[in-house]
Amino acid sequence: MTLANRRIPTDEFERIREEVLAQWPTGADVDFAEAVAYQRGLPASSRLADRLAAASREGTTLVQPRAGVALVDELIALLRYLEHEGEADLLPTTIDSYTRQNAYGDAEKGIHESRAEGRSMLNGFPAVNHGVRECRRVVEAVSVPVQVRHGTPDARLLAEISYAGGFSGFEGGGISYNIPYAKKAPLERTIADWQYVDRLTGLYEEQGISLDREPFGPLTGTLVPPCISHAVAVIEALLAAVQGVRHLTLGYGQCGNLVQDVAAIRSLRLVAEEYLDRYGFGDVHVSTVFHQWMGGFPQDEAKAFGVIGWGAASAALSGATKVIVKTPHEALGVPTKEANGQGLRATKQLVAMLRDQRMDETAAVREESDRIVAETRCLVDRAIALGEGDLAVGAVRAFEAGTLDVPFAPSRFNAGKVLPARDDRGAVRFLDPGALPFPKDLLDFHRACLEERARRERREVGFQMVIDDIYAIGKGRLVGRPR
Amino acid sequence: MAEAGQAREAPRVVLGVIGADVHAVGNRILAYSLRNAGIEVENLGVMVSQEEFIAAAVETAADAIWVSSLYGHGEIDCRGLRGRCTEAGIGRVLLYVGGNLVVGKTPFADVERRFRAMGFDRVYPPGTSPEAAVADLRRDLEARG
Repeated sequence: MTLANRRIPTDEFERIREEVLAQWPTGADVDFAEAVAYQRGLPASSRLADRLAAASREGTTLVQPRAGVALVDELIALLRYLEHEGEADLLPTTIDSYTRQNAYGDAEKGIHESRAEGRSMLNGFPAVNHGVRECRRVVEAVSVPVQVRHGTPDARLLAEISYAGGFSGFEGGGISYNIPYAKKAPLERTIADWQYVDRLTGLYEEQGISLDREPFGPLTGTLVPPCISHAVAVIEALLAAVQGVRHLTLGYGQCGNLVQDVAAIRSLRLVAEEYLDRYGFGDVHVSTVFHQWMGGFPQDEAKAFGVIGWGAASAALSGATKVIVKTPHEALGVPTKEANGQGLRATKQLVAMLRDQRMDETAAVREESDRIVAETRCLVDRAIALGEGDLAVGAVRAFEAGTLDVPFAPSRFNAGKVLPARDDRGAVRFLDPGALPFPKDLLDFHRACLEERARRERREVGFQMVIDDIYAIGKGRLVGRPR
Repeated sequence: MAEAGQAREAPRVVLGVIGADVHAVGNRILAYSLRNAGIEVENLGVMVSQEEFIAAAVETAADAIWVSSLYGHGEIDCRGLRGRCTEAGIGRVLLYVGGNLVVGKTPFADVERRFRAMGFDRVYPPGTSPEAAVADLRRDLEARG
């Protein structure tokens, strides 16, 4: 196989499909024509792409939790609770970590142990093991769209079962579900595997079934400067569009400085539409998703609500199409359904209160947004150049060269040279830009931001700032000032 | 072996995030903090199997294995580790574990009891400072002489 950014031909797709569906016995239950008919028969209220398009038109921000447990009836009870008691507009099914590594045997063990122990021993829902019919029970049990959220480098079988199972959205991408989620998975492999997922999505689209694809925006969720996640989002959007995807939701993880966060959502939409237009995909519908703070949380639940509220306010003021909600149990791991519902209701209250206020055209936001667009163009254009016109190849080479580099990623195919830190107002800047191909004026800007903070703190710019920033929100601040 | 009158050599720790867990940030900071505290660190990074922990501990003659788990599968992933250490001839190695160890909000005393029963010497809740665990390590090694 040679990686190339071209639509997978039908015969090749069908050949791969045969292998994919044979990876676990439940794959045999996937019948594409029957699945299309099933999806067509679902009520409009179950279709994520429609719901997002309507929210975009109305200028509202939808709220969505993360949630998943090992067993089907327990998942249904959890999702119904989040819909009715949590007032969620959109629902998730979060997949467990064994399934994410294609370890279906371990997931099976987890299902049995969960039955025996009477509590979920898995951190999510093993959809592949449960199979198409059980997934349909989940989708039919609620009256809002359900999206699959995970972190799976090779999600081909999971996508087949999810779509045939009635889910109407699928998170992930060849870069965004590799670099932050895997140690040894080669990018060539995962990009190709996600071309399959995108082609599958395209095949449904061609049958009139619009399914939403969402590259994972926050990446490692730890002080990721907006241009890095935007560059990955733009590249994954273009790769998806080539395979026939027409509904994309692009994401960003909250950094915590309001101007930067609002500018990030504004610039994400602008820069994505710019590149999609340039490559002839002006018909692709782009939504945005704002992830509430993905880093460490305070243990105290009241303080955690403060963090959640700030994320909700920032999401609303940025005009994001949806917001992914954290819970007051975030510091302690997988939350109870009550805690999950509380995070949702707190967010819902803020989003509804702020729905008539926007901040995305203020001067400070425009300046920050323009800079993020300029930085993102540097990263994407270099990837295109490195690929000699082929973006799939270019993405792989960009990571090899370190011109795309995700802070704190576990993958050995990520350079890991870039180090972020907050400036004096809490915006995330580059402490060490590694090999990112920025012109001198951009590099000087980031350096000056950090020098300003260093002067205020009477210390040198250095790694201790990064550590202090990572723990800061858990300890009640945004900028990690010296103790 | 430290001779009388000689400084004891630096404690050696094998560090890693167990199972299918990819939480890399705390691991990077823990490694940095341990080295700063004068500990020799063999950092295996994320997604480390029990076998990899044990092989590294045997190879480096480690004093301790520090296991992190943030994603909730810690209980399944850590089961049997002490027994496998014993089989590999390093039954006396100190086993420390920390993080979000089980799915769902559970009183830490319950978590600690479960992991102590599995043969772990020290069990830490989320938010423990690296310095606190380093102080415990020095105390545990001191007690062994």
